[in-house]
Amino acid sequence: MRAISKTFGGTTALSGLELSVAPGEFVTVVGPSGCGKSTLFNIVAGLEEPDAGGILRFEGQSCHAAELLGRVSFMPQRDLLLPWRNVVDNAILALEVEGAPRKEARARALRMLPEFGLAGFETQYPHQLSGGMRQRVALMRTFLFERDLMLLDEPFGALDALTRAMMQRWLLDVWQKYRRTILFITHDVDEAIFLGDRVLVMTARPGAVKLEQAIDLPRPRRPDVVTSPEFIRLKRTLLETIEEESMKSFRSAEAPKVSQ
Amino acid sequence: MAAPKAGSAARAQWMARAGGLGRLVLGLAIAALVWEGSVLLFGIRPHYLPKLSTILQAIATTPKPYVDGFLRTLAETLIGFVAGGAFGIAMGIVFFRVRALREMVFPIFIVSQTIPVIAFGALVVLWFGNTLLAKAVIAFYLTFFPVAVNTLLGLESVDRQQVALMRSFGASRWQLLARLQFPTALPHIFVALRLASSLSLVGAIVGEWFGDTTGLGVLLLQAMYNENVVSIWATLLVSALLGTGFYAVVAAAERRLVFWGAEQ
Repeated sequence: MRAISKTFGGTTALSGLELSVAPGEFVTVVGPSGCGKSTLFNIVAGLEEPDAGGILRFEGQSCHAAELLGRVSFMPQRDLLLPWRNVVDNAILALEVEGAPRKEARARALRMLPEFGLAGFETQYPHQLSGGMRQRVALMRTFLFERDLMLLDEPFGALDALTRAMMQRWLLDVWQKYRRTILFITHDVDEAIFLGDRVLVMTARPGAVKLEQAIDLPRPRRPDVVTSPEFIRLKRTLLETIEEESMKSFRSAEAPKVSQ
Repeated sequence: MAAPKAGSAARAQWMARAGGLGRLVLGLAIAALVWEGSVLLFGIRPHYLPKLSTILQAIATTPKPYVDGFLRTLAETLIGFVAGGAFGIAMGIVFFRVRALREMVFPIFIVSQTIPVIAFGALVVLWFGNTLLAKAVIAFYLTFFPVAVNTLLGLESVDRQQVALMRSFGASRWQLLARLQFPTALPHIFVALRLASSLSLVGAIVGEWFGDTTGLGVLLLQAMYNENVVSIWATLLVSALLGTGFYAVVAAAERRLVFWGAEQ
């Protein structure tokens, strides 16, 4: 995958947005709420078409968003596990849709279970699992659907702070091992810096990329990196930018009320 | 993270179920005692309420009509239920998929359900005569509609994000239906099937009133004309047994198939 850039017109969620992700790169996206992050993801996942005039390139070839269906592994905010399927069968859902034989898919999933901290839970059903575990099952489903680009939409948003920190470190380990290309949405600046090679800050609606910040913290990153001066400096820059955009979207939301 | 203790959980569940069954039997026994005792105590005339023991004795001395009637009515009920359930589910899926067809046919379905079952029964007997099929058709008529409505409702209750996720995997419409939409609809479908299990019995019994020689409905009618109170009560008990048993089977199937409950 080389470059994705797209342009929109009108009052829609995104306008003139441009971004590219290099192979093996971990890019995080932060922005004020309602900046069209999710719209961006839906386009990259192939669920929504950009307006005419938008240019989408995947692996060096221009394409329609719909052609991306089945080519990008997508993980939405909620785990969306199917309650009638146990851990293994939930994890292999995407493989099954692809037409892989169930037996083979299950064997692959079983081999992966320990790495996702799910060993011994293969026959449990989602309602028997904790939030963190459910999220790991969903991540495993995303990882098993081997695609060049992984899209993670606030995957840890619903978890408590401790579980979340643990999951972040764990995700970095797994990413370093498999070297997938990841585009990761979050509203948590710490998370964005801790995980990413690059952080993109989006503008208030209509969304575009406001700032692109390379994160050159050494890897592997240890939990205490968040207190390093370098980290704090990056965080300050990013927070200032986000603050500015949040105020903008706040004002534009207030404006109609004021005029009444 | 502790290893799951599936064994002890299953045992606890079994114990709970056995305890529930024990209480059910106890409740029935108390009800039977109250019945028997109050008839004796208050001297209720057998014309209004015979003793339970008299009724059970009547069944025990001439079991044949009751057994035959039970089996016959069971067959009619089952055929109507299975056909109505299958047709209802199929129509629910078709209405879900083909909007135009829903707008064309659904109103006709509703009109069909406003026709009193007695009027419809007369017509069915004209068409099919006094056959087993005629009763099954009436049971079918009462069954298919709630199943179709709930199937449609269940299919439409599917989470849109879940659909988006499946599509991002490249799922076809058929895969969406089989792997996501139909399982999501199952709990709704079972609500209708439980309702349909009692409705199909009503359909079968009403159907028998239009004329037949065996069946619980026939027994009821004969007992009524002969003012045989004991026979009316006996038939009632047998019908209750059939209805409850059938309902229990459907509910058990539901527990097995929709084990995840009302999650989400």
